[in-house]
Amino acid sequence: MTMDDNKLTFEKITADLTHHIRINKGFVIWMGFLTVSLLACLFAYSLQLRTGLGVAGIRDYVTWGLYLSNFVFFVAASLIGMLVSAVLGLIGMKWITPITRIAETIAVAFAAVAGLVIVSDMGRPERLAYVFIYGRPQSPILWDVTVIVTYFVLSLMLLYLPLIADMAIIHNSKVAIPSWLRSIYKRFSLNFTDSPEQNRIINRSIRVLLILLVPAALSIHTVTSWLFAVTSRAGWDSSIFGPYFVSGAFVAGSAAVIIAMFFFRKNYKLENYLTDLHFNNMGKVLATVSLVYLYFNINEYLVPGYKLKRADAVHLQELLAGRDALLFWMVQIGGLVIPILFLLFRRFRKPVPVLVISIAVLIAAWFKRYLIVIPTQEHPFLPIQHVPQNFVHYSPTLIESMITIAPFILVLIIITLISKFFPVIPLHETAVEKGAEHIRFE
Amino acid sequence: MEENNTTNFSNEDEKSKGSTRRNFLKNLGLAGVGVATGAAALYSGHIFEAKKEATGESKVLLTQDGKLVSVDSLEIKSHIKTGEELRESQGREGIPGRRWVMVTDLSHCRNARKCINACQDAHQLRPEQYHMNTLQMQDAPNTAPYNMPKNCQHCDNPPCVAVCPVDATFKRPDGIVLIENDRCIGCRFCMAACPYSARIFNWIEPKDAASHQGQDYNVELNVPQKLGTISKCLFSADRLREGKLPYCVEACPNGVYYFGDENEDAVTNGTTKETVRLSKLLRDNGGYQLMPELGTRPRVYYLPPKNRLFPFEEAKDATPEKV
Amino acid sequence: MGFKKQVFLLLLLSVVTGTRVSAQTWVVPDDQKAVVAPMKFTPDMQKQGEQVYLKNCQSCHGLPGKDNWAKLTPPPGDLAKEKAQKQTDGEIFYRITTGKIPMPEFRNIIPEDDRWAVIAFLRSFNPKYVQPAPKALAAFTGRSVTLEMQYSDPMKKIVVTAHEKLKDNSNVPAAGIEVLLSVKRYFGSLQVGEMRTTNARGEATFEFPADLPGNNTGNVDLTARVNDPKSQMKTTPATGTFAIGVPTDRPGLTETRAWWSTRGNAPIWLLLTYTLSVIIVWGIIIYIVSSILKIKKLSTHG
Repeated sequence: MTMDDNKLTFEKITADLTHHIRINKGFVIWMGFLTVSLLACLFAYSLQLRTGLGVAGIRDYVTWGLYLSNFVFFVAASLIGMLVSAVLGLIGMKWITPITRIAETIAVAFAAVAGLVIVSDMGRPERLAYVFIYGRPQSPILWDVTVIVTYFVLSLMLLYLPLIADMAIIHNSKVAIPSWLRSIYKRFSLNFTDSPEQNRIINRSIRVLLILLVPAALSIHTVTSWLFAVTSRAGWDSSIFGPYFVSGAFVAGSAAVIIAMFFFRKNYKLENYLTDLHFNNMGKVLATVSLVYLYFNINEYLVPGYKLKRADAVHLQELLAGRDALLFWMVQIGGLVIPILFLLFRRFRKPVPVLVISIAVLIAAWFKRYLIVIPTQEHPFLPIQHVPQNFVHYSPTLIESMITIAPFILVLIIITLISKFFPVIPLHETAVEKGAEHIRFE
Repeated sequence: MEENNTTNFSNEDEKSKGSTRRNFLKNLGLAGVGVATGAAALYSGHIFEAKKEATGESKVLLTQDGKLVSVDSLEIKSHIKTGEELRESQGREGIPGRRWVMVTDLSHCRNARKCINACQDAHQLRPEQYHMNTLQMQDAPNTAPYNMPKNCQHCDNPPCVAVCPVDATFKRPDGIVLIENDRCIGCRFCMAACPYSARIFNWIEPKDAASHQGQDYNVELNVPQKLGTISKCLFSADRLREGKLPYCVEACPNGVYYFGDENEDAVTNGTTKETVRLSKLLRDNGGYQLMPELGTRPRVYYLPPKNRLFPFEEAKDATPEKV
Repeated sequence: MGFKKQVFLLLLLSVVTGTRVSAQTWVVPDDQKAVVAPMKFTPDMQKQGEQVYLKNCQSCHGLPGKDNWAKLTPPPGDLAKEKAQKQTDGEIFYRITTGKIPMPEFRNIIPEDDRWAVIAFLRSFNPKYVQPAPKALAAFTGRSVTLEMQYSDPMKKIVVTAHEKLKDNSNVPAAGIEVLLSVKRYFGSLQVGEMRTTNARGEATFEFPADLPGNNTGNVDLTARVNDPKSQMKTTPATGTFAIGVPTDRPGLTETRAWWSTRGNAPIWLLLTYTLSVIIVWGIIIYIVSSILKIKKLSTHG
């Protein structure tokens, strides 16, 4: 126990972790704003459904644009659930307890929406079922669909299982929550009474799920990287794309968790639970995964840059010193090198600085996916000739950008709803860890 | 619309209503059903193969190319199909005993673009949609520029077919790589995988879509083109069935293209109609393939641009309007 | 003035000599010029001719009257225009038959009737054209040669024998006849070996290439015909099918299990790995779900 306030009572913990569960004005305004924005973006998508993918800036040559780089980003961000819960949890890190639910919520939201993002990139979305009916096991897309569905279900279960005890506690307590929510809690807490058998089932299930989560999570991002790496295109033809993507995913996910931690701590007044220690530790995690990612980046650019095979040479020239150079260096230096340098110092791992760094890292992480997906397609092996200018260089359209923003809104909606109606921090576990007595289930 | 399309992937809409127990189970159920259908579909392929067992009864038939073959009577029944269905199954089976091959003689090409026009007419393509495109190439700073017609290479190890998630693009026994645009989901993975940039996509409503509405789909011509699906060179599979040379090959005024059957070791020039031995043509002229190092094993060969019939000219006004 | 006149004359001279030069390059013999079609041009014939034209001629000459011929040297020209139309039917027929680089020789590509059909089609663009009375080639006085073809097993060679029908209807071996042998391929006929001239016994022997593919049983369809570029003889070619090619029964290109195969033909290890992984992981998930459902029953309070 590294926490200072060990003497928190069970009642205090319950009150602290549940007081946000009520519909207030801020929540209504925020959800209203999200809903209206989502509707605007859905209108953009309805245009695309009616007239085809031509409403976007993608054309022959650059056929995968914002939608696909967005998809890669969403899959990447969802990976954090596995890093925090499974990797850090299984190796016995105790400080992660208050963060696990945040990480799982992010994982569930991003994994679920990643599935939608990829549908927005389909020329024939109404044929989605064909992937199941006619699916070829040789196609990485089938693998991707399989592992994303699996990872989503695993994450959802990992979110749910620790909630059983929490819901049992709350629905039996005097905490004022809306009555409809209380009945949901009652149903979903499965008459949990903290009996040894019940705990045995839950603990064993969680352990099995955590173990399953590791290969599933590694698979989703490795397979997503293979959407590129199985081709022979310059910039994609790489055997380290799997680990390169996975390490990059941890960077994006860690940053997302830190940002979420900050806002929950502030809005839900959880300063006693999400302490400076957690920000400090997550800052260290972010620095570590960023260093690993930097290492893969050096490999990914230096090795082909040394050989300068014909197509690679053109691609790297454009990336490092040409059209995409500004974005490239901003992402690499501003989104990776500088954050790492700052995060090495303890004082930059305090909540506010680490929040600022995380925001920079997350934005850079999104543009990094853009840089992985788009420039390669602008440099095919054979010259691009006799086609309109907009086939040569990709520029996203307004409608396309709106359809790209929609998933972010959806993720925010999901995270908002889950965090609003359930304790953001595991109640039962926290109470047990803090040594609170008289944990009541009835 | 979005809601309906995505229930198989994930169900965040339901979650947003608050995870009720029923919805939670429905989530699991749906995902489970998805996987189950996937697995079932996988095995149906095997079952279909297994059904092809012989009845022992066989019949002698005359094939299109004049051969007498003995066929199991069960197979005859399954082949009595009509219209589009027949075309589709024929389209997937190809023309038996053939291995189509194309030879493009770069020394004869002067970028007349007749092949491109004939192809675009036949396949209902817009001016910026190329199954066949003539590129102005220069391999190194001091080597001479030349014109290079480039179409789908109909690889024997096709990277595009490998990545297709739904078997919409496929390789036929006679070597042709085709697309079934009734099946294509428009993911464009094949375009990303093709090193020859041979594939195009119907980003907007295809050319004269209204007037082609209701027209039967011909998989060997990929016509009518469909919005949101892939298209590419088909080696004019429909013409080959009639014993005719492909549209581009026949349209060339300069004798650039040879087309034929590798199994017969013969190719016929589309302009002079002269038939020559494939092996000799390639041997005598230093025939080569595009990017053989990628291991794609193309069915299109090139003859180098030496002793040229025409001087190289920069292509003029061949760039279509913005789309 | 004098200078201008000189220039004009010079120009005129160059134009005249120019046309003379190009005319000289492709002279049609007078007897061929005088040839007329053996049949009356009918609308049906014109329609048939159009099909033949679209297939064989359009790529260079464009559509008649549209002036959209390919820019070649010498220019192919629009065949509906006066320059082409002022030729006699015989001249056009001769040119189609014999060809001249870069125009292909259509002797063996377009049958005679179809060549006439093309002319019928082209004449439909000329309102002033009046067809001369059809004249069957009855008055033919040249040699009449019939070929026969056999495969000689001991010699491993194709032997083509030429017979000439004399005026008294007797058949004698024809010597000095130039014979070409070709093998049928999917899109045309491939010449086999060099041209041979028949000997005193009227025989020409051809070596059949040892490496030329036949069908799955090695059969090849051969045609022997007389080389008669000026159509001075009445010739009957010989055809035959011989099992002398390399039997070619190569499997279809989709027989292997590969990454690009159809689902049913996917590599076995991949099918197994994929299916087993899905079954194992989802089996565990279903097991966990079922055990979670048990929690309710294990409640200490019922």
